[in-house]
Amino acid sequence: MTSLVRSFGPSLTAAILLLTGFWIVGMIVAPQLIMVEKSFWYLDRGGDAGALTVRIDGLYNAVDLLGFDKLDAEALEPSAERDLKLDDIGRQVAATKAEIAELETREIKPRKVYSFTNYTLISAAHFAIFVKTILAALAVTLIAFIVCYPIAYTVAKLAPPGKAAIIMLGLIVPYAINELLRIFSWLMILNTNGVVNTLLAFMGLEPVAFLESGSGVFIAMVYAYVLFMVFPIYNTVETLDVAQIEAARDLGAPMWKIHWRVILPHAKPGIAVGAIMTFMLSVGSYSVPYIMTRGIAAPWFTQLIYNRFFESNNWNAGAAYAFTLLITCTLFIFLLMRIFRVGIKDIAR
Amino acid sequence: MHGKDVVLNNVSMRFGDFTAVQPTNLVIKAGEFFSILGPSGCGKTTILRMISGFLVPSGGDILIGEESMRGVGAHKRPTALIFQSLALFPLMSVWENVAFGLEMHDWPKAKRRDRAHELLEMTALTDQAEKRPTELSGGQRQRVAIARALAVEPAVLLLDEPLSALDLKLRQHMRAELKAIQRKTGVTFIYITHDQGEALTMSDRTAVMRNGVVEQVDTTDRIYDTPATAFVASFVGESNVIHGRVNAVADGFAALDSPHGSFRALNPGGLAVGDEAILFVRPEKMTFPARGERSENAIDVDFLRRDLEGPFVNLFFTRNGDVFTIHLTNTKTAGQDVSGEITIAFAPEDGLILAAGELADD
Repeated sequence: MTSLVRSFGPSLTAAILLLTGFWIVGMIVAPQLIMVEKSFWYLDRGGDAGALTVRIDGLYNAVDLLGFDKLDAEALEPSAERDLKLDDIGRQVAATKAEIAELETREIKPRKVYSFTNYTLISAAHFAIFVKTILAALAVTLIAFIVCYPIAYTVAKLAPPGKAAIIMLGLIVPYAINELLRIFSWLMILNTNGVVNTLLAFMGLEPVAFLESGSGVFIAMVYAYVLFMVFPIYNTVETLDVAQIEAARDLGAPMWKIHWRVILPHAKPGIAVGAIMTFMLSVGSYSVPYIMTRGIAAPWFTQLIYNRFFESNNWNAGAAYAFTLLITCTLFIFLLMRIFRVGIKDIAR
Repeated sequence: MHGKDVVLNNVSMRFGDFTAVQPTNLVIKAGEFFSILGPSGCGKTTILRMISGFLVPSGGDILIGEESMRGVGAHKRPTALIFQSLALFPLMSVWENVAFGLEMHDWPKAKRRDRAHELLEMTALTDQAEKRPTELSGGQRQRVAIARALAVEPAVLLLDEPLSALDLKLRQHMRAELKAIQRKTGVTFIYITHDQGEALTMSDRTAVMRNGVVEQVDTTDRIYDTPATAFVASFVGESNVIHGRVNAVADGFAALDSPHGSFRALNPGGLAVGDEAILFVRPEKMTFPARGERSENAIDVDFLRRDLEGPFVNLFFTRNGDVFTIHLTNTKTAGQDVSGEITIAFAPEDGLILAAGELADD
């Protein structure tokens, strides 16, 4: 704090702190808290919201019918019996209207009830998708790692500097293209009538249902998030002293043992960062599964969250879904960090 | 452990247009402490990397224990390399570092541990076995690197300036330790250095290199006393240098005509009259002739200054812009009475007249 003031002066320090504070509170903490809060209550409309509407409609009909009864009664000769009837109808109308008013207030201003109900609403089918999404994201992370590690290692340690720069540029350039376009291109490649299947047909092979089997989501997702794995691994491998690799070689290590005992342990923090980013992005990806499945294959859990929010119009259940996903993924990451013995400090390096 | 001899047969190395090592022949005997000495960029590290197998020579053949190393990878050679940076594995404990080579040769863990502890005992590191290399001092890390290299029982140990990162005291201590380990194990040591002190104190024999060429291979005494070329004379130890031209030769001696006068000295290279030459005289061989006596090889100079360097006193003189140095043994009063114009001289047997050539940068 004092060092900040010393380096930047009081006014600039205040501006930095203010902006940082605004960023953390306004952009991260507040929206999350609002979501968490939403997930813990629901609106009590006395059961089903639909049933309530039907009931109110029924009562309005009843009022209308009573109006006809009233007209009938008014047509009668004035008598004590007629007065009695009109009185009775008047009372019934008033009672019905009172009930309508009460039901309508309940419909407009439902009771806010705090509970864990939203978290128990998930159906077996949705839970299956939830589990599938996490496993699939894990698979995407694994594939991304298998693809990225050799690239990162080659660029960091084998390629001459000029060539390394070209490879890196080649990796980055596709990311200048809009994500939707990149995914659409995969759609065109993997479609039933797409490039790959055309080639397969040309070679006389059966077409493969990439999109329907769900492998299309995989491929597009690995492609979409692969860079988030490459760069952290590249950065850590790059810092490894080449002499360590040579020392291992000199002591008789075959190449795979050098990777296993020297390079991978050194790159572990970078792999952890890359894996966390790829995993979280894959689990939370909406556009990739949306475009690649389009109802042909089973949806991703994010699509269910979207549906909760904007199709069932139930933000509370949506928030509970989203929050469940967040907590599960976070715990999952901590579990993996435990298993692979990566500390928070290693990652922060 | 047994050392093996290393033979370089016409070995050369080119990187594109640049020739790092000219065709070179070297015979390093089994169990010898051999140094390759030279300034940075002279090709000594290239030679080391070719012997260890990290570089494939552009030409020639390397034999270790009479076996050609052509097509044999670094991990299959009976050599072990100690890197300048040591290259210890920071994520492994000290004993795991030492046992790494054994692990790579599929030794069972219990045997690895025993062998590692033997080596740690030899290098006085038993207490540090479970620590990480980063927790050790510079000298201890050095010994871990040596133990790790010796664990695989190499016939040839290659050392790439491993002491350069240590401070002076530790460096001197480690020199003695390296020499002792070499004696104890009988392994052939090939030691790369730009530090002539290291080469002279430890080695049985030394090769001096310049620009990819081995200029002289000899015992350290002979390298110092009878350097073969102007470069070796100027790179190893200090010398008073006088440029000139040979004007007479006789009986292994030559006379040099120079701006400072004419001098007579040894002519080991058999220079002929008219050859451009350089005269070298070690500062400790320079003397003050007795007063009134006009001795041979005398130079009239002006006293410049007196520097005390522990056991020596360095006296500096100047004549026409050239500086001359005399080393005297420090006897408290040595050189204190020297001042003003004075005459210095040297015996003809203490001077060397060598063919003119490039000198080492100071």
